[in-house]
Amino acid sequence: MSTVKINGKEVTVKDGTLILDAARDAGFEIPTFCYQADLMGVGSCRMCLVEIEGQKKLQPSCITPVLHGMSIHTETPTVMSARASMLEFLLANHALDCPVCDKGGECELQDMVYKYGPHKGRHAEPKFKFQEKDYVLSPVIIKNSNRCVQCMKCVRVCGEVVGANVLGALGRGDHQEETSFLRSFLDCDQDGNCIEVCPVGCFMRLPYRYKTRPWDLKGKDTVCPYCATGCRMVIEERDGIVIRAKAQLGVGLNSETLCARGRFGFDFINSPERLTKPLVKRFGTLEPASWEEALGVIKDNFIAAGKNIGGIASARLTDEELYLFQKLFRSMLGSPNIDSSARWAPEAVEGFIKATGMDEGGASAFDCMESDTVLITGTHLSDENPVTDYIVRRISAGRAMNLVIASPRAMKLDSSASQIVRHNAAAEGHLLDAVTLSVYGGNVDKLRDVPGINRIKDARQDDLAGKAGCSADDIKAIARKLTGEGSVGLFAGTEFLRYPGSIPGLALLKNALKALGKKVTIIPVLDRANQRGAWEMGVHPGFGPGYSPVKERGMGCADMLEAASSGELQALYVVQSDIVAMHPDENFVRGALSGLKFLVVQDCFMSETARLANVVLPASSFAEKDGILTNQEGRAQIIRKLLPPPVKAKRDIDIIRAVGETFDRSFGPKNPVLVLDEIRKEVGMYGEVSLAFNNKRNVDNKLDLKEALVKPAGLAEGLNASGLETKLEPKTDEHPFLLATGNHLFHSGRLSRKSPTLIGLLKNAIVEISAEDASALGLMNGDKVRIKGRYYEAYATLHTRSGSKGGVAFIAENYDDVPVNRFFRRGEGVPRVSITKA
Amino acid sequence: MEKILLKNLGRPGFHTIDSCLVNGGYNGLTEAFKHAPESIIQMVKDSGLRGRGGAGFPTGLKWSFIPKDPTIQKYLCCNADEGEPGTFKDRGIMENDPHLLIEGMIIASYAIGASVSYIYIRGEFVFGTRRLEAAIKEAYEKGFLGKNILGSGFSHDMYIHRGFGAYICGEETALLESIEGYRGQPRKKPPFPALSGLYGKPTVINNVETLACVPAIIEKGPKWFSSIGPEKSPGPKIFCVSGHVKKPGLYELPLGTTMRDLIFDHCGGMLNEGRGLKAVIPGGVSAPMLNAHELDTPLDFDSLAAKGSMLGSGAVVVMDESTCMVKTALIINRFFSHESCGKCTPCRDGTPWLTNILKRIEYGNGRPGDVELLESLCTNIFGRTFCPLGDGAVMALRGALKNFRDEFQHHIDHKRCMVS
Repeated sequence: MSTVKINGKEVTVKDGTLILDAARDAGFEIPTFCYQADLMGVGSCRMCLVEIEGQKKLQPSCITPVLHGMSIHTETPTVMSARASMLEFLLANHALDCPVCDKGGECELQDMVYKYGPHKGRHAEPKFKFQEKDYVLSPVIIKNSNRCVQCMKCVRVCGEVVGANVLGALGRGDHQEETSFLRSFLDCDQDGNCIEVCPVGCFMRLPYRYKTRPWDLKGKDTVCPYCATGCRMVIEERDGIVIRAKAQLGVGLNSETLCARGRFGFDFINSPERLTKPLVKRFGTLEPASWEEALGVIKDNFIAAGKNIGGIASARLTDEELYLFQKLFRSMLGSPNIDSSARWAPEAVEGFIKATGMDEGGASAFDCMESDTVLITGTHLSDENPVTDYIVRRISAGRAMNLVIASPRAMKLDSSASQIVRHNAAAEGHLLDAVTLSVYGGNVDKLRDVPGINRIKDARQDDLAGKAGCSADDIKAIARKLTGEGSVGLFAGTEFLRYPGSIPGLALLKNALKALGKKVTIIPVLDRANQRGAWEMGVHPGFGPGYSPVKERGMGCADMLEAASSGELQALYVVQSDIVAMHPDENFVRGALSGLKFLVVQDCFMSETARLANVVLPASSFAEKDGILTNQEGRAQIIRKLLPPPVKAKRDIDIIRAVGETFDRSFGPKNPVLVLDEIRKEVGMYGEVSLAFNNKRNVDNKLDLKEALVKPAGLAEGLNASGLETKLEPKTDEHPFLLATGNHLFHSGRLSRKSPTLIGLLKNAIVEISAEDASALGLMNGDKVRIKGRYYEAYATLHTRSGSKGGVAFIAENYDDVPVNRFFRRGEGVPRVSITKA
Repeated sequence: MEKILLKNLGRPGFHTIDSCLVNGGYNGLTEAFKHAPESIIQMVKDSGLRGRGGAGFPTGLKWSFIPKDPTIQKYLCCNADEGEPGTFKDRGIMENDPHLLIEGMIIASYAIGASVSYIYIRGEFVFGTRRLEAAIKEAYEKGFLGKNILGSGFSHDMYIHRGFGAYICGEETALLESIEGYRGQPRKKPPFPALSGLYGKPTVINNVETLACVPAIIEKGPKWFSSIGPEKSPGPKIFCVSGHVKKPGLYELPLGTTMRDLIFDHCGGMLNEGRGLKAVIPGGVSAPMLNAHELDTPLDFDSLAAKGSMLGSGAVVVMDESTCMVKTALIINRFFSHESCGKCTPCRDGTPWLTNILKRIEYGNGRPGDVELLESLCTNIFGRTFCPLGDGAVMALRGALKNFRDEFQHHIDHKRCMVS
């Protein structure tokens, strides 16, 4: 600890603390442009100069650490004049076109000049101009370099946090311009973090351009509705139209960063395709109806169906809505058949929950990154959960640690890894088994009694490594890192749910490492904003709220569809889930749904599933409701209502309650706040969880609010994780590629397809294979190719990725022009496809 | 005085290793291998050698900061990015006596334990680069570079890295960035290069002339070296004289030689007998100019610092009475604003502003108050920049304003030059 005097006030801070941080903690404001807590200090803007007694020159406080006994002055006339002079220099060549600048009103340069002067200009020379007109840098970025203050935050965030490294500086001196290589059009992650960190109006959102002035916007705190990273953001509207989503420095685990989906994908809210009225099918066509009529039809048909009814709710709804949904089914309709995913088998979910220890309470990703060895497996983190990727990149760059990435497909994060393992698709289990076996080999005594070890202890290392498709040396290296000094962190993604046969391998590795006395932190990496919340609210056929045991085990999505085809299940209530598009084997789903007597779909859009419905109810988006979402770490976070639902649409919680009320007027609780109270009472995990979040622009950048993590459930015996297996179609010469799926960087499920900006970034389907496979087939990046499976064939653009494992073709689940689930056939395992030039 | 650094100047053909060896080349290296690395550092410390690049930091002390742990990779970088206007001494050494530099670098590397060294040479020095490349090749052939040099067990590799024409890359940390392949901009200090330099490893960066002094120190002993010139700035120094003198060129003289001796004895006096001396820039254009009354100042680090100027690189620019000081200030300032790297605000935006004002004054469009504005901007830039480049620009301008303020005022008031 060092004790220093700041403006006469004595403070004691940790050794190595920056003067800037120490001063801000002590309550003294120091202005900065180039400083940002997440980025490496450069000390170039010179706004933060302070006076240190005994030193001739003023020192930049953002890169100078305190030394014991220092006496620092931050508000002397010299310091103040230095600040004013820096601003004078910055203004010398600044465009000063504030009246037409998008940033005007929330510009840091404006604020600082207002505060620290100079209020009179002395620069009478012609200004240097980079260009006369703003130029478009990417589909979402427009740039005006004349306003630049050369803080380099854009370049640094692009390199250090996003890892895209597409920005740099051209020119020298006052002609230095931060931009893309020779100002070329950017083909990057399009996440706009460069826009967010820009203190002035140099990098700007193209979709937001000239739409409004910041003071005309009304904003509300919310959480991004796409993946389960749980990025906090603010969405802002003007005249009922949401026109901006922004992240805030030091708020939420994401701080100022978002991905393209979060920053630009909100505009589905404003879509003209939104459903605004209830629809009821009359003589084969869906026609507008009143709420009373729609609810009446629902009541009649639900009564007719009796207990032969099922429900599927989207994992993007709020915890309150999901809780009420399961309550509606379990206590009102008397049916145990509910599920929150059209994609995952219920047993796989239970196995995954157990293996990742979700029932043991929330675990912070920052804690996980504090581990000495971190293994990322079962997820294409850079595309699926981009902001988690940023967190991993940023933290791993700043400390000595092992970062092991095991994935069939190459990803952006690979450059941060200390070891990369490319294994076969769907072979996560074999890989982890091989690693565990290697660990077991050196610790037979300690691991003899680990449950499940018998499954692999007699296996041959070569066999397992061969099945995983990687070398025995790679396996040994991972095992060595995991068993080395210190703690272990695991990021385990949705591939485990997609290929449930891998789950025992994950569970075994965790147990083995724990048996060695290691601290193991596991973060499940999920792809729907409230997937974890949906499970914890008990929207699952095998367990109730808080993973509590259920009296009667219900049917999951696949079983319900099976039962529907056989006529056993009569009615289905689907909330914001597009099962036709998402469940493997589209034909099967269509057949099953046509076997239903009655289908209610509640959605924001006329989805494929809604087209088949008897009644369609207009629902609301995340911007139109209050509630909480639980992210993948188990962090409960509030979203706030910004707008009313459009026209006659209603909040999902109101619709679910109204459906319940048709049976019993007392069904409730009646509003989200009361539902949350009931959740807190009924679900132990949420009893104490803190929703308080200092959502102010804070400067200390403390991102990890541990009180927001859910508590351990403490009763997870009920989880049934048996019968987990991965079925693959046998490999044939005709169909050499195993079809992998997931989300594209610019899309999430089908929701993002309604966002004009995201569609602008990527409209048509692409199929990704490794560059080596492509060259063997004589194909090139950008070729139009035919993808042929046993049951379906489609055309898409080829994207090649170098460094990926061969034999894997990846098609994201997002495209409506190539619905990837049509390649699947129920009961036949993961399909294989061939790729030829179209 | 016996010439050490420029002994081959004007002797064509003496740059090859054969003639070098005949004339006692690499004797210093042979001698050095008889000592432990620590005692080499001690000898350089004892000699009082101070860095010849401009700052005058004691060389032995700089070497002693390098961690002694033999498992850590260390580097030596030779700063041959001679960019200061008026300076051409390193070029003289590299083109005429490349083996002197190479020998000095091997000794320095041996002293600090560096297995690899780089010569960061100014891109425009094509001839010098070729000479050095040939010399390095010769040194490898004779076993002065490579594995197990002269049976000492010390191995060393040397590379040349050509710059791309940025003045800022003469700043040591910008030089490191440039070698690493990044944009040439200075790094923050601390950490200093002695702890975290090239590729994050301990690195010593020395000027060509500094390294060229090392073989003689080892061969003849530190006492001999410290006996030359004043006590606190000993040793020979190359002065690069340009401007209005009869015989401009390179002069190797002991430090402490007075300006008057240099100009009137060694350089043969003023070019045009009819015009008196008006001002002298004693150490490259960053150094504030001295006027005709200060000619008896000894040319060494401390005496010039006492006069408010500096020895810098030893580039002496002599100007006679026909020189317009506004134009001189403009030319010098334009150089700095052109070479400002763009990293920090005061230098990036301040130096072009100064240039614009000077241009205005020079072209007869000066406004009342411009001199005060210049002074105020100088105050705002000086001491607040990231690296010394901006300070250099201000010091040069301040020197001109201090000595010739009336000339600036005359330009503004009369819209014309005072001297021509």
